[in-house]
Amino acid sequence: MDLYLPIAEVSVNAPLLVALGALVGFISGLFGIGGGFLMTPVLVLMGIPPAVAVASMANHVAASSTSSVISYTRKRAVDFRMGGVLAAGGVAGAIVGVEVFRWLRLMGQADLVVALSYLVFLGVIGGLMLVESLQSILRRRSGQPPKPRKDRRPPWLYSLPLKMRFPRSRLYISVIPPVLLGVFVGVLSAVMGVGGGFVLVPAMVYILRMPAGVVVGTSLFQIIITTSLTGVLQAGRNQTVDIVLATLLLVGGVLGAQLGAKASSRFRAEELRALLALIVLLVGLRMGLGLFFTPDEPFILMTGMG
Amino acid sequence: MALDIPSPAALQLTASPAAVSAALTTTQVRVTSSFRGARIVLYGAVFDPSTTPSDVVVIVRGPDLPVRIARKTKVAGVWVNSRPVVFRGAPGFYMTASTRPLADIAGFGTLRRLGAGIDHLAINAPLEQHTETRYGVRDVVVSRLGADYLDWRRAVVRLKENAGLYDADDKGVTFVDKDLFKAEIDLPTEAPTGRYQAEIILFQDGQPVSRKVRSLTVEKAGIERTLYLFAHRSPWLYGLVSMALALGAGWAASLAFRRN
Repeated sequence: MDLYLPIAEVSVNAPLLVALGALVGFISGLFGIGGGFLMTPVLVLMGIPPAVAVASMANHVAASSTSSVISYTRKRAVDFRMGGVLAAGGVAGAIVGVEVFRWLRLMGQADLVVALSYLVFLGVIGGLMLVESLQSILRRRSGQPPKPRKDRRPPWLYSLPLKMRFPRSRLYISVIPPVLLGVFVGVLSAVMGVGGGFVLVPAMVYILRMPAGVVVGTSLFQIIITTSLTGVLQAGRNQTVDIVLATLLLVGGVLGAQLGAKASSRFRAEELRALLALIVLLVGLRMGLGLFFTPDEPFILMTGMG
Repeated sequence: MALDIPSPAALQLTASPAAVSAALTTTQVRVTSSFRGARIVLYGAVFDPSTTPSDVVVIVRGPDLPVRIARKTKVAGVWVNSRPVVFRGAPGFYMTASTRPLADIAGFGTLRRLGAGIDHLAINAPLEQHTETRYGVRDVVVSRLGADYLDWRRAVVRLKENAGLYDADDKGVTFVDKDLFKAEIDLPTEAPTGRYQAEIILFQDGQPVSRKVRSLTVEKAGIERTLYLFAHRSPWLYGLVSMALALGAGWAASLAFRRN
């Protein structure tokens, strides 16, 4: 059944989009990420204008994150105070990001920046995660004890001013690193059409040294706040949110997210991380390597703004 | 909307009594949620007491839309977009259908005057142009795109053709009976909304002898129109409503799964 999208102005296969939403939602629930980094490139490949894909994704990410954050709240796995500090940065980042994206579109460089961001961020993070998770899998297979976690936090984290207590994360640190992290993720959410979980989760584990139990829930909480704002800003400033597209995706997405969260308990954490790392790496390479190949068609029409 | 169609007087109608008449089977195309393009049939008749061989050309033009186009160039091993260039005078949809190839029906000058055929459209990039004196000739129009100008213009046409928005069918007008002809106009899903004009011209001996214009509107209808207007007239409210829907759906799903 084909459906004409009022804002994207293209015709799409509705059941296919619901299925795609469900698949990405499942992955999102399984790994505790928004899944935007996967969905946005697929939508662009399907012929949806990139600006509409990036903007409408914010709604889908917000929906599937809400669906899974509620179950994390029940397990008391959300540090609301840390999430709030991250979100304060995220709000500033989203406002800047939407303006940056608007300016990039005017300059005709949005495609380049989006592709480069995917290549750099997904490539680096996917690569690091893959190495780390393969090492722990090999260690377990060969019967060695797991590598002792270095609990010594970097000293600069403690030397900064504006310290704040985060009881649920058992932290007493400056608010500056989480706010900066939030700003960075907010910009990414507007420019790349992602929630930013793939940056946030490793940063919370390796830089802020938060306990593993609260990382995913807290990251989802911050993603909801940032992407809600991004979605409203994209609609208000750029008129690029397609409500029909977003609804199709999120119907599948919220159901998939619930199933994914249920399935996640059946896998070992490092195996899940290795799988996620592979997906992240492949998407990053697929998006970024196109920049190095000679294009079949040297000209490109810039849709939207006339 | 500036449809650049010359008035009938400019056609230098010959004294021949031959005339053409035509009608569209649909004059209003409604873009609804099930819109997957449309096919419009044009029927027409040639009235000619003599036996002079006639050719019929049908030109359908959509509203003019400025085209922003960029060229990919290699910078430090990476393909990046150049500065976008704006071309004006390009119709959002343009189709010609004729009984024979246009070049066989009339001469270059006639076609250019009528704007008949993709090659004769006045597509140019006015923002890139400036005038200067060259070889002692004043007011020579020079484009900043330089010698590549034609590559750019051809690319505009090629990309529009690939999207199904420009088409030239030199067998598109068929005579179903003596003096009764038919042409089909295929509008793709991407066809822009707005007023379209179908021009039907009868040629004899390489000259236009009769001309009729029929108009056609393509507009969003039903829920598509409501949503489109909502998104553009009150964008902030639209953003809030769509985000509330998203958050509500996430919350509802988590409730539903808790019950199970």
